Amino acid sequence: MILETLEHVHAAAIADRTGWDAKPQGLCRGELCVPAPGALREDGTVDVEVMAQRLGMPLVHDAEHGVWALGPATATGRALSTAAAADPELIDRAGNPFRLSSLRGRKVLLVAWASY
Amino acid sequence: MVTVALDVNPAHTYTWIDAAAPTHPSLIDTGHVTGELFGFINIPMAVWIDEDGMLVRPAESATIEASPMRNMEIPDGLPERLTSMLREVKKIPDVTEQYRAAIVDWAHNGAASPYALDPDEVVARSQPRSDAHARAAACFELGQHLLHTVGHNAAVPWWRQAHELFPENWTYKRQAWTLVTTAAGDENDLMQGPNDVYEGNWLDDVIAGGGGEAYAVVPAL
Repeated sequence: MILETLEHVHAAAIADRTGWDAKPQGLCRGELCVPAPGALREDGTVDVEVMAQRLGMPLVHDAEHGVWALGPATATGRALSTAAAADPELIDRAGNPFRLSSLRGRKVLLVAWASY
Repeated sequence: MVTVALDVNPAHTYTWIDAAAPTHPSLIDTGHVTGELFGFINIPMAVWIDEDGMLVRPAESATIEASPMRNMEIPDGLPERLTSMLREVKKIPDVTEQYRAAIVDWAHNGAASPYALDPDEVVARSQPRSDAHARAAACFELGQHLLHTVGHNAAVPWWRQAHELFPENWTYKRQAWTLVTTAAGDENDLMQGPNDVYEGNWLDDVIAGGGGEAYAVVPAL
């Protein structure tokens, strides 16, 4: 997740990109919750450094361009922390947004390909 | 079926999508976000998602038709590098028929299919993610961001780091290689040969990684 600041990063934005919800009981994804005191602030923003530390997320900084990248969690040592499918916003050929959750109720075979 | 193209430049996908004229949702992931979230480290790979939005198979190599390159006889007179590449392609394990049959079985039988895994098994079988892998993902994403906001030269140092940290991730490498010119005037060069920007290239990296035999995440069916 690209961050142009480490301040005022809202929990909703973090959840949308990473799938991890900052809740009073901890950082949660699906049925999995990791205790993380101090991660969720009263104003609904997230202390990114606490989150990164608790979930084993790398926080990489490009000082020249003033930008950070928050990498994925390593909490389980696997690419997946839960079998609940992530639901990122993608685009179709026309540039319209599309989420996999719009296909709930149907089986989905999600095939990744590339022009390369 | 839903397809998703992992391409930083959506325009690179249009020719393919338009030629296929898909009737299924045909999506584009310009941030390689699905790679990070599902564990795609090469293409083509797939995950299976059930009616409730639960993964029943993690990311694994996904082919339902054998590539013509696999069975073709390599013509004489091709450039030596291309001949070597085709030899490695022929070594990539082929479970095409079994994988297609497994998909059909799941489509008919759902959770009762022996190929539909329970949630713990899905997580356990998903791709390994070490600290280095996670850092590589962050570096790659930073490079993508700088590609779009600053320019290609700003992306290169971060992509080089990503390649070094996670050499088994072919999407990081193949994406970067396509953006450097290895044939005169051709930005989107499918040969992905030696270049002056990155340490690696397709053929030498495949051989260094164990050859075509080790190139794909073969489904354990």
